[in-house]
Amino acid sequence: MKKSLIFIDNDNHKNSIDLLEVVRQIYVDDGCETYGICINHDSLMANNVFDKLIQVIDPDIFQNDPMIVTDIMEEVHKKYDFDAILIPATNFGRMLAPRLSMRLHVGLVADVTAIGYKDDVLEMVRPAFSGKIMAGIVQQGIGPTMMSIRQNVFSYEEKMSKTTEVIRYHPLKKRKSGLKLLDMNPKVQSYDIRNSEVLISGGGGTVKNFQKLEMLADVLCGQISASRMIIDKGIAPRNIQVGQSGKTVTPKLYIALGINGAIQHIEGLKNVEYIISVNINKNAPICFLSDLVVEGDAFEFIDKLSMKIKNEQIVTNKLKKVEPRR
Amino acid sequence: MKIVCMVKIVPDVDKFEYDFESNTVVRDNVRMILNPDDASGVGFALKVKSMKPDTIVEVVTMAPESVEPLLLDLARVGVDRVTYISDPIFSGSDSYATSKILAKYLETTSYDCILTGTHAIDGDTSHVPAQLGELLDLCQMSNVIKIDEDALDESKVVFTVDNDTSVSTYEMKLPGILSIQKESNYKLPYIKYEDINKDVNDQINIISNDDLAFEKGKVGLEGSLTKVNRTFVKEYKKRNKVVVGNDEQGIETVYSFLKDKGFV
Amino acid sequence: MNKDQIVQSLIDLLSKDQVNTNHEALYDASADRYKKYAKARKVLKVPMPLAIVYPNDTQEISELLKFCNKNLINVIPRGGKTATEGGLENWKDITIVIDALHLDKIIKIDPYNSQATVQAGVALQDLEDELRKIGCTTGHSPQSKPVAKYGGLLATRSIGQFSTLYGGIEDMVVGLECVFPDGHISRIKNVSRRSGGPDIRHIAIGNEGSLCYITEATIKIFKFYPENNKFYGYLIKDVETGIKVLREVMVNGFRPSVARTYSEQDAAQHFYHFHDNKCVLLFMAEGPKGIVEATGQAIEEAVEKFKDGIIKQVDSQLISDWFDNLNWSQKDIDDEYEGMIENDSHAGYTTEISADWETIPKIYNNVIKKVKSEFPRAHDLTMLGGHSSHSYLNGTNMYFVYNYKINCAPEDEMLIYHHAIQKIIVEETLRMGGSMCHHHGIGKFRNEWSKQEHGSAFYMLEKLKEVFDPKGIMNYGTIFPQEDAIKKYIYKG
Repeated sequence: MKKSLIFIDNDNHKNSIDLLEVVRQIYVDDGCETYGICINHDSLMANNVFDKLIQVIDPDIFQNDPMIVTDIMEEVHKKYDFDAILIPATNFGRMLAPRLSMRLHVGLVADVTAIGYKDDVLEMVRPAFSGKIMAGIVQQGIGPTMMSIRQNVFSYEEKMSKTTEVIRYHPLKKRKSGLKLLDMNPKVQSYDIRNSEVLISGGGGTVKNFQKLEMLADVLCGQISASRMIIDKGIAPRNIQVGQSGKTVTPKLYIALGINGAIQHIEGLKNVEYIISVNINKNAPICFLSDLVVEGDAFEFIDKLSMKIKNEQIVTNKLKKVEPRR
Repeated sequence: MKIVCMVKIVPDVDKFEYDFESNTVVRDNVRMILNPDDASGVGFALKVKSMKPDTIVEVVTMAPESVEPLLLDLARVGVDRVTYISDPIFSGSDSYATSKILAKYLETTSYDCILTGTHAIDGDTSHVPAQLGELLDLCQMSNVIKIDEDALDESKVVFTVDNDTSVSTYEMKLPGILSIQKESNYKLPYIKYEDINKDVNDQINIISNDDLAFEKGKVGLEGSLTKVNRTFVKEYKKRNKVVVGNDEQGIETVYSFLKDKGFV
Repeated sequence: MNKDQIVQSLIDLLSKDQVNTNHEALYDASADRYKKYAKARKVLKVPMPLAIVYPNDTQEISELLKFCNKNLINVIPRGGKTATEGGLENWKDITIVIDALHLDKIIKIDPYNSQATVQAGVALQDLEDELRKIGCTTGHSPQSKPVAKYGGLLATRSIGQFSTLYGGIEDMVVGLECVFPDGHISRIKNVSRRSGGPDIRHIAIGNEGSLCYITEATIKIFKFYPENNKFYGYLIKDVETGIKVLREVMVNGFRPSVARTYSEQDAAQHFYHFHDNKCVLLFMAEGPKGIVEATGQAIEEAVEKFKDGIIKQVDSQLISDWFDNLNWSQKDIDDEYEGMIENDSHAGYTTEISADWETIPKIYNNVIKKVKSEFPRAHDLTMLGGHSSHSYLNGTNMYFVYNYKINCAPEDEMLIYHHAIQKIIVEETLRMGGSMCHHHGIGKFRNEWSKQEHGSAFYMLEKLKEVFDPKGIMNYGTIFPQEDAIKKYIYKG
């Protein structure tokens, strides 16, 4: 029976466990005995989804040091001889995986977003050139299949509950870490519009009540940005100005409310995935760059769409009766 | 103090254009540039050098000969020595083989701190820094956004890391490897106008396989543990401007669009 | 006299309120829009003037110039601050800027005789607004209209967007008043035309502050017919086709107020929403109804004649909308300034040239080719193109525009990028027999080529300078090349 090991990263249990879907795709009908490994943390989520859960609890072990964790993973692999070792591509995972693969002299594919078989050989697909080209990689040589896997791509659907055997493991090698943690602060919400995935942007057509954009930003979990006209009128600070003389932004979704679309503004929208424009003039220049154009008043649109989203949310929650996972 | 900066010369990926008709990415005439994260590393090293002038900064890269002009420019902004490792036998190396080659050179030179970038805009596997750490038995940390230049000496370094969920400050015993992100905002200085054509050949150090003596089969395509089977392009659709009104139907269309793309 | 003594003398001559020695203001006054990037990044390497003074009338200006002439103080005349070629840049340690701020009166508007008289510090927009109230217009509309003032508009031989119908400033000036370095005040009276020796107005018009200080001007005013405006827009195959159509309309005897053709990249800046990566040709016909209709017809016929080069017609409403948003405002300038502080890139440098019909397309093609192949930083260009916007019976202009990413220290930007591109454009134009300076003036950044531009006729300009400004106090370095200063302030030697 094949054996696979998944590293459970304390920073993201869910994505780590989702890697079980990758295991399923690799071994399909053959099946595989699944192992998870937690180092100096516990994972309630891992219960009942893995066949075995290896737990390493030792205050002398500094789990933030990839070197130390590599030692442990190497020992564990020598003991169980896995066919596949999967690591989520969290920041830590991306340091651990290459070190471990070099330790084991095994080829590693990083940041995998899809897998499949080509001529019976497992091919791992990953983005290259900042995502502009996809590459299909195959491993050469012997050794376990090793990959780090991009977060939020695979999703594990629990088919049935399992009884997980918990294995307490005590590493033999215990080297001293050259790393010391001095301070740790959880991340504060960034207010730089360049970091936002969703931007609700207002232009000249929203001067009368620019604050109203907050309503839409709330329901879509986005940030507010503006065209120069709003900044010129002193309605909003310059740090949310989008455009040539302001910031270049790369959100997945850009909703342009009452924005005409002067070239200087458009220059700030180089790599936006989806643009929705709301304008009383459906021939305003920005509309020609948009996926969706709503011909009408921006404020009316905000009211109507926010209401629609809230209503749908209520309906969905009623159907599911589930607490959203965090 | 000696700082070694590992750098990679990569294509200017932003200039790749997507051809909707043939579903390909056009890479012609795209310039090669210094990988932005790596440039931050060199920027930081030069900042330290400007504060402590007896710091020695060496830049190391593995690259074909064609990128020499870019490396000369690094010598012109203050890097003491630019080492470039080039040999046809290395061609086709994956990150595993590349790490072995770089590590072999590094074993012959001194260093207190090795700086690298975290992400390379072309391959972006981030393998090499960690693998160098493994081969040289050094600690390595990625996603560095700040290094405390005042607390830096030959024995230790204090730095800040941008993790997925938190921002952490560590102290690392040196020698060690730090992988910087361009978001750290350490900038490579510009070449001064008067230095644009400065002769810096005596600062360039070329290393071939004559110096490293790898057996054929241990490097290059044959020595790699992964192989690129094929490349293909994600399909992009040209924008279809769909116009709707501010009425129930229009709002419904917008909502469906948002739902479909995962925004609600 | 030392600097403090000079400032004190200025205060004595005028009054304390009229002398400005504020550091920020002086830094800002050291250079104009040619070095806007270096200024925004605070790395200007030119001397700051000692003071900016605001005289109240012509008499005070006469006293000021006499004082400066006596004490060898460099004088920079200043109006709306929209200069783009270094005309306002300071190349001397002892300099004062004489700003026309208080010369802001519209003295007389005379619709019967179609004339209006203004002081040099009157903003073009202000006069235009007044004229519109009586159904008239200045007919002069440079992009700097909301900010530019009459002194500078005359001194630079400026031209506006509707020049193809109304002419350049030189066609609009009736009479004027100016002051010379020796304090002499010359008033040229307002007459419809005369033959009284050479036309001495042209010593002042275009002098760029190198010969005299213009204090007042009388300009023609035109009846305004906004209700009849007709717009035409077309997507065309190339710039040559556009030039041919423009020529056809002009040579056949018609005067659209706007006649323009844009190359693809330049068109993208204005018409990205419909230009589909093609060149753009556009016209506006203005005036009394019959004339507009005839002009419109002539345009349509010209387009038809060259229809092989025409791809399609564009909705006139789009052209009209574009037109309404064309001019700068002070806010545009301020915003651009903020943007340059934050971003390492630049937008909006230009070099405008002119030539006859046959030569213009050749110059255009050669320049584009040369910049792409000979400019060492061509890979940093984010936009390179040009448009023709002022046509004449015998030729037209070409307005080259270029934007680029700046990958060098801010103090090196001008030499590595801006001036390097300008040089290619100027030298190619002069080589082909065109003029390197269609309407922005020579300033300081084209004076390396002043002699080439004028050839044997430069003699006439030189003699004027010798006679009117023998001590060389008027705007040192403008028009008349100064080798040492060029080496120091342009080539960093």
